[in-house]
Amino acid sequence: MLNRRIGVFICHCGGNISDYVDVEEVRKSVENSPGVVLSKKHMFTCSDAAQTEMMKDVLDEKLDGLVIASCSPKLHLHTFRSMSERAGLNPYRYVQVNIREQCSWAHTDNMRGATKKAIALVEAGIAKSCLMPSLSTIRVETVPKALIIGAGIAGLRSALSLARLGIHAYLIEREEQPGGWVGNLGELFPQGKKGPSLIDSLLEQVRREEGITLFTGTELLEKSGNIGNFTVKLKTGQSDTISLNVGAIIVTTGFDTYAPQKTEYGFNDTNVITLAEYERCLQEGTGEIQYNGHTVKRVAYIYCVGSRQKTSESCPSPNTQCSRYCCTSAIHAAILTHKRDATVGQYHLYRDIRTYGKYELLYDEALNLGSIFLRFDAATPPTVHTDGQLRVNVHDTLTRGEEIEIDADLVVLVTGMVPRENKKLVNILKLPIGKDGFFNEIHPKLRPVETVIDGVFIAGTCQSPKTISESVASALSAVSKTAGLLKRGYVELEPLVAMVDADRCVWCDECTKACPYGAIQKVEHNGKEVAEIIPVLCKGEGACVPVCPKDALDVEGYTDHQITAMIDAFSKEMAK
Amino acid sequence: MLPTDISQELDYDICIVGAGIAGMESALNLGDMGYRVLLVEKEASIGGKMILLSKVFPTLDCASCISTPKMASAAHHPNVTIMVYSEIDEIERKENGTFGVQMHQKPTYVDPNACIGCGQCETACTVAIPDEFNFNLDARRVAHIPFPQAVPKKAILQRNGQSPCNHTCPAGVKPHGYTSLVRAGLHDAAFELHLETTPLIGSLSRACYAPCEKECTRGEFEGSVQIRAIKRFIADRYYELNSEPNYGPVKERKDKRIAIVGAGPAGLNAAFQLARKGYDVTIFEAEEKAGGTMQYGIPDVRLPKDVLERDIKNVTALGVSIRTNTKVESLEKLKQDGFDAVFLGLGCSRTRSKREESADGTTSVKTKAPGRVRSPNTTPFADEIKLAANGVIEINKTLQTSLPYVFAGGDAVTGPLTITAAIGQGNQAAYFIEQFLQGHPLNAADLKELECTDKLAVIAREARLSTRKPTKLLKRENVSKEEGRKAAKLPLTEEEARYSANRCLDCGNCSECHQCVSVCPSNAIDFSMQPIHHQIKVGSVIIATGFELFDAHRKPTFGFGKYPNVVTAMQMDRLLSPTRPFNSVLRPSDGKEPDNIAFVLCVGSRDSQVDHRLCSRVCCMYTAKQAQLIMGSLPLADVTIYYIDIRAFGKGYDEFYEQAKGMGVDFVHGKVADITESSEDEGNLVVRFENLTEGKIEKREHDLVVLSVGLLPNTSAQGMFRGTSIEADNFRYIKEMDEDMEPGVTSIDGVFVAGAANAARDIPDTILHSGAAAVQAAAYIENLKGLVC
Repeated sequence: MLNRRIGVFICHCGGNISDYVDVEEVRKSVENSPGVVLSKKHMFTCSDAAQTEMMKDVLDEKLDGLVIASCSPKLHLHTFRSMSERAGLNPYRYVQVNIREQCSWAHTDNMRGATKKAIALVEAGIAKSCLMPSLSTIRVETVPKALIIGAGIAGLRSALSLARLGIHAYLIEREEQPGGWVGNLGELFPQGKKGPSLIDSLLEQVRREEGITLFTGTELLEKSGNIGNFTVKLKTGQSDTISLNVGAIIVTTGFDTYAPQKTEYGFNDTNVITLAEYERCLQEGTGEIQYNGHTVKRVAYIYCVGSRQKTSESCPSPNTQCSRYCCTSAIHAAILTHKRDATVGQYHLYRDIRTYGKYELLYDEALNLGSIFLRFDAATPPTVHTDGQLRVNVHDTLTRGEEIEIDADLVVLVTGMVPRENKKLVNILKLPIGKDGFFNEIHPKLRPVETVIDGVFIAGTCQSPKTISESVASALSAVSKTAGLLKRGYVELEPLVAMVDADRCVWCDECTKACPYGAIQKVEHNGKEVAEIIPVLCKGEGACVPVCPKDALDVEGYTDHQITAMIDAFSKEMAK
Repeated sequence: MLPTDISQELDYDICIVGAGIAGMESALNLGDMGYRVLLVEKEASIGGKMILLSKVFPTLDCASCISTPKMASAAHHPNVTIMVYSEIDEIERKENGTFGVQMHQKPTYVDPNACIGCGQCETACTVAIPDEFNFNLDARRVAHIPFPQAVPKKAILQRNGQSPCNHTCPAGVKPHGYTSLVRAGLHDAAFELHLETTPLIGSLSRACYAPCEKECTRGEFEGSVQIRAIKRFIADRYYELNSEPNYGPVKERKDKRIAIVGAGPAGLNAAFQLARKGYDVTIFEAEEKAGGTMQYGIPDVRLPKDVLERDIKNVTALGVSIRTNTKVESLEKLKQDGFDAVFLGLGCSRTRSKREESADGTTSVKTKAPGRVRSPNTTPFADEIKLAANGVIEINKTLQTSLPYVFAGGDAVTGPLTITAAIGQGNQAAYFIEQFLQGHPLNAADLKELECTDKLAVIAREARLSTRKPTKLLKRENVSKEEGRKAAKLPLTEEEARYSANRCLDCGNCSECHQCVSVCPSNAIDFSMQPIHHQIKVGSVIIATGFELFDAHRKPTFGFGKYPNVVTAMQMDRLLSPTRPFNSVLRPSDGKEPDNIAFVLCVGSRDSQVDHRLCSRVCCMYTAKQAQLIMGSLPLADVTIYYIDIRAFGKGYDEFYEQAKGMGVDFVHGKVADITESSEDEGNLVVRFENLTEGKIEKREHDLVVLSVGLLPNTSAQGMFRGTSIEADNFRYIKEMDEDMEPGVTSIDGVFVAGAANAARDIPDTILHSGAAAVQAAAYIENLKGLVC
């Protein structure tokens, strides 16, 4: 330890640090600490000029460790690690000490105290630096192929883009027929395309593309390996299994539509149907709309069926989410209805009309075409009477809650999207599920297609309700992340991962239970069973360390030895 | 030669216009895929609008905390090059499918390589202007780092042309500079700033014809700033405190000698500037005393000679020797005597004013007219240098005569000049003589200044200015005409000087007071910076120029701009953010903590009156967010939201809306008609609205009203393309040709659109769309790679 050659640099940060911390005193206090061969101050350690000078010091003084006392590592850890690397010093031999956020900014009223604390923290940093080994990132070669699960609109579209970027796509579909929901839809908003022709044209392109292999009637059986290099086993048809190597997996398994209960809004009546059923009805024939053998002249739409629910006796596990697409979809159906038969009276019983963005224009159009909108409160939903003449009663809050009765030929329940049950797949991929039952992303804003399982992405409506264009955008976004991962040929992972002292380990299995990433496996060592870390899966978060009854686990960069040395150095200084 | 693919010829694979969250996301995705990206941003920092927000819905993450890592990743990404403060001039699509991009980096007047982001210039800067980062809720300095988390964290001087007073001064004096220094109470610094241009401060404060005052924009209102009077205050105060200069000759000497012929304003000035550079300077003056016109042409009552003498001490203190009564007859002789360069600052021969000692010992001038000007006395040098027909010396644009080591200025080359203009020539001569002596090429363009501020724009900006009359007018009020005339002529007191300086409108933003130059620890300030133009070849272009906010002034019935306590939601977001201006939510009129706040939704959205039928998608949610944050920061406040429909449609959004309701936010289903100020409680506002649930018109009083303004397209990218235009939809958003299947694909092959430039989008949808646009651009590049040239 004493033959280490550590350089310590203290930053003024303009006056951010030096106004409240006596930087020179810090420098002097640590200049003779064990291992320290050089200690200097800089106005701004992060400036190019200071970096150049420090790099020269590393080379001239043959430093093998570097401590910079400056700001939070969140700001400049990366900066100084890469500086170390450019100076030929292993970047993990660099230790950052935060004397700005933790000293000068926190103790503006006490310069003496701030300085003392800064000295102690720098001593702790030096103690850690003495014990830091050289480490290398974990490099994993990647396979330039991806598996896409689900050949609906999102799956088909992402396969095409992957192939265009030179990444082979294996597209698997559980059903015999690819195309998902969209293949069964009629005219679509906002462009007026037809679902089947959209899917046909995509399938045509998929079949022509050499970089795509489509398997229908196929399910995922097993997944092993790690980010960049997974082995997946597929079951095709009744008994065949295929094994493939892929670098990433995109899950595009889609949604289910909400199925109303028999008692919900008179759904047991043949003239009470879902929006999907009504849309199919609109596709058939021309002119006057026929349903169930009679002509439809009055339609009542009830919105938010199966969406925005609250917990109640009849609904113990509610779908709290808004399904996003249904307002626009119902309004679009009303416009199509009007185009076929302008004499149909249409009544929309809604809570909030959510025709967001440009879809507002469809709402305008429906209003102009004569659709009548009545607003109800969730506490007093409409009632559907199926005895005799089909009729709907509603307290309309737009007319001071007046009760309005509508005789209807057809009641259309505007049903939302619900998560699709997919337990087998969830188990195989360890997919995280959110509160609403949809697959969960890492971060809804910044990383909406990534999951906590490295190399496994989610896109389309399996993540949350979406329109077609939104599903496609998210599919391409997942392609973007996949290509970012696979086009370079390798991935580099942080080496600050857990490690096992095999001699101490007695394989009690506590650590595997604590690890959320499945990064610990059982192996044989000198004739006994012990735990072993799979470095590419480990995130170095250290949940395994405290549960080990034998103290056999440590996390690189935060070992017990290092932390103890830091605490000793810190408390020794503070006790002065 | 072997055929190469077209992409090999490119400077970058993709150019992304706009470095908000959309541009950054596309750039990072493409950079990760291995493509070389140029990210162009017109502002001084990347980050766009997202970095301005407090927290974001529905997770209530701090916006800074989740956008700074993106900004840092973009800045550090090996495949991403960022150019901030840069604008695209034109993009041309070539026949082979690549693009030529013409762009320029605007001058920041701070060398980004030298700047260490310490912010000392910001503290020293003497001009405060509205802070656009805080949506004009407070002020910031002209020299500034855009905001605490800016990337790059470099200062800029945001100049708005050169202030008219600075621009017009023929001497190169910076009236705006010393005025802003006096305003800041930095009187010594004001003197020192003036001294940078000329030593003749006292003389100018009496005898200058003050063209600056004629150009002063305040002159369009109650009368121009009394700039010369302020100067006199500076000079008199300084000379009162310092009877002698507090400096001596400069220490670092240069081994060159310079002769100055004529100790008039041009000669004195050239001598002063050269001596400050360390040259050995001697002035030869034919007359008995130095000063030229100032000594002999201006009557004592206007310019007392002790003031002139003190001014001249500013020159001689530098070690300049003035040999009076010494006529120079030969330039060749000067050369032989060891002078390396000569400046001829000759005046014109004049009829000498007759002087007479009066009985009380003071000197007065009898002949009032200061001598009729004849012709310059250049005859002695007629054999040595070229003269024009009228006897003036011929010079080129760098004041150099036909003898390369001889420079000339002042009356001798132009005919009679004002002393102010002569000072300017002395300064220019000093510059070119130094260039000549250092062996540098002489280039007249070196002295080019920034163009003048557009005065009309300043007048428009100051439309709601408070009235502040000049002191010379104030002093005439309520006194007799004669008394008023006398009082108005008196020099300014310190208080009057500061009052007068406070009347300055800071036309060009930067006053050129040079405080930033003095404090910058790394000498990064560079006033000579010019725009840098680039021509760049790229394979594809992504437009990520984002959106603009609806201007709430366009709904006059809501009183924005009229009532101080009607603010926009963006201002409220700033009031709530961690880098907020007041460290609390305060209402603007009186700084009171509001306890009854209203939000009005759909301001500028779903509204035919302002020709914007579209829903802006984000306002319901950001309003619900702000309501929750207010309830956290002001627990006792009542919050009301007036709405048409609550559009909480994204993942976790409706739950977020329910959470706001659960916290006690009063959601009122109703459309607001107008907002007026309360007649009873000062600053309070009365919201008149149709209560749809009750079916009647109601009024409610609030102490702060927030207008939830909508999003509009940013159309700036639409004129960028040479020979074609990019197709826009009916609402002027850049159009996607097939929005279902091909996100991001525009009407120009190879040009893609990401984020809110295509439609109003929230952050999650922007992230998805930007990822998609990145993939589309990547596929286009892959296709280019297949093409050989």
